[in-house]
Amino acid sequence: MGNLYHNKTAQWIAYGVFFAVLAIIPLTVDDSFLLNQFATYGVYGMLALSISLCWGFGGILNLGQGIAFGLGAYGMAMTMQMQSQTESNPIPPFMLNNSLDHLPMLWQPFQSTGTGMVLAIAAPTLFCAVFGGIMFRARVSGPFFAIMTLAMLSAFYTIILDRQAYTGGVNGLTPPSAFQFAGVEIDPYSPTAYWVVFCFLMGATVVAKLITQSSFGLVTQAIRNDAERVRFLGYSVAGYETVIYTISGLIAAIAGCCWVMLVQYVSPAQLDVSFSLSMVIWAAIGGRLSLLGSIFGAFLIQGAQSYLGDTFLATWLLILGGFFILVVRFLPNGLASLLESGLGLLATKRPSPAAQSNGDAKPMPAE
Amino acid sequence: MPGLLEIHNLSKSFDATKVIDNFSLEVVEGTLCCLVGPNGAGKTTTLDLITGRIKPTGGKILFANEDITAKHEHVIARAGIGRKFQVPAVLRDLTVRQNLEVSYSRQTNPFWNLFKFRPAGLKTKLDEIATLAGLTGRLNERAGILSHGETQWLEIGMVLMQEPRLLLMDEPIAGMTEVEIEKTARIFKDLRKTATLIVVEHDMGFVREIADVVTVMHMGSLLAQGTIRQVEADPRVRDVYLGEQEAA
Repeated sequence: MGNLYHNKTAQWIAYGVFFAVLAIIPLTVDDSFLLNQFATYGVYGMLALSISLCWGFGGILNLGQGIAFGLGAYGMAMTMQMQSQTESNPIPPFMLNNSLDHLPMLWQPFQSTGTGMVLAIAAPTLFCAVFGGIMFRARVSGPFFAIMTLAMLSAFYTIILDRQAYTGGVNGLTPPSAFQFAGVEIDPYSPTAYWVVFCFLMGATVVAKLITQSSFGLVTQAIRNDAERVRFLGYSVAGYETVIYTISGLIAAIAGCCWVMLVQYVSPAQLDVSFSLSMVIWAAIGGRLSLLGSIFGAFLIQGAQSYLGDTFLATWLLILGGFFILVVRFLPNGLASLLESGLGLLATKRPSPAAQSNGDAKPMPAE
Repeated sequence: MPGLLEIHNLSKSFDATKVIDNFSLEVVEGTLCCLVGPNGAGKTTTLDLITGRIKPTGGKILFANEDITAKHEHVIARAGIGRKFQVPAVLRDLTVRQNLEVSYSRQTNPFWNLFKFRPAGLKTKLDEIATLAGLTGRLNERAGILSHGETQWLEIGMVLMQEPRLLLMDEPIAGMTEVEIEKTARIFKDLRKTATLIVVEHDMGFVREIADVVTVMHMGSLLAQGTIRQVEADPRVRDVYLGEQEAA
């Protein structure tokens, strides 16, 4: 009882501190390359957050989050590509190389930045709603759903690779200039770009946290525990699963847009199986039951990869794999559970009267 | 008075085996009907068919004059049928409080629930049910660590949180002490004022105490129906069920 880890107020304070630290970074970091790198970690944090929401809270293991991320990224890249096309030069160069003489239908909506951005977010979200709806209605769950997402991911990967004239094939898209929004250019190496990602990460995290605390979140956790039982309480399990899967996809799509804004590049590699698996590993190591833990997991792993990856080269993957096995074996709920048990020990050692007054602090299995 | 629940010529076969064979039943609103019969008579299967867990091969089920045959589980639950399972099914990873909260399923729409944090009326109802189930001191415990008896009470509490018009109780007193059985009988009799109950039970002493109507099932069909006195006097019932029990 009285474990600070489960105290809602303490949780919100932790969130506040976490984002305060992230907000200080651009004020202290002068190196624009480093700032850009930190911003990409923010994108990975968003992806880990989306996995935590779907897998940790909803119990839906999704090995194909790269679909939503990739589609969002392609939509954004197409929008940015079209921003640099002019009247005299209306077609992206790679299309000319593939002997297209006019802009294909698929690309036309992206001539408008507004429509392009809406599509970049809406298309992946709609995909999740439809695909999830079909799967969950048919009561596909657990490892079977994971396999379906993996298959879907591979299908998208193949299509994008194959339709070279429309997607740039293996080279992907490399919009030549930075993203322009409402007449303002967002330089990917500027603090502005960092702030954009920061705001989306914080917004997504706060919304995700509120979702887990809502009645919806409670039903979702009940479904994770025993979907069969929840049906007899009157809840449509398929409906809840579809909604949480779609919200998770929406966050990943936003992450995809942010990512392209930062790196001005997208290729089928973003829909590669290994990248989607990395997202799951971030959440697993950080602690999939904790939103903040998952984001931290992404920072930790990607940070380590950036700095140790160069030193160890190929052995880095072995180190990462070994670390993953260790965590899964000894900390099945990730690094966050270390904090949970630590604070739990503290609470049992000093049974303070404050713990009494804290009757509302429930041992939510989440956070 | 018309039946709140009407089952007409219900049948269910698994491959060639007829588990429920042309079974009909009418339960009048505000009564407590006990469903008894030897093992394998099809009592739990009947509950599965009513709640939509399995689909019948023939026949019709009407609830409050609406056809609920082969509807989805959640649709039937929303119509006002709550169920307690034979093997107590609570959400073991959640706390007792969360179990009760999630069962308070007045609003089932996922989109609405995204914006709901404290459903109106939840607290009063939760306090009332927790007191009734004797779980007030255990609200913050994980449901998985409860004893068998407490788990039974929690699931009964969950069904009550749903505020259903019809409660299906599958062996509610298994694993309870004498005192708890008496309490259950009292609660069930009380519930009759506002709801209708179908109780599957083997304990004839308990059935004698609570039942308005007793329905005896045998080999998937209706063997006898009536007051406990009528049923106990029926020679066929003595033959297949009660006699068997006394011999055991």
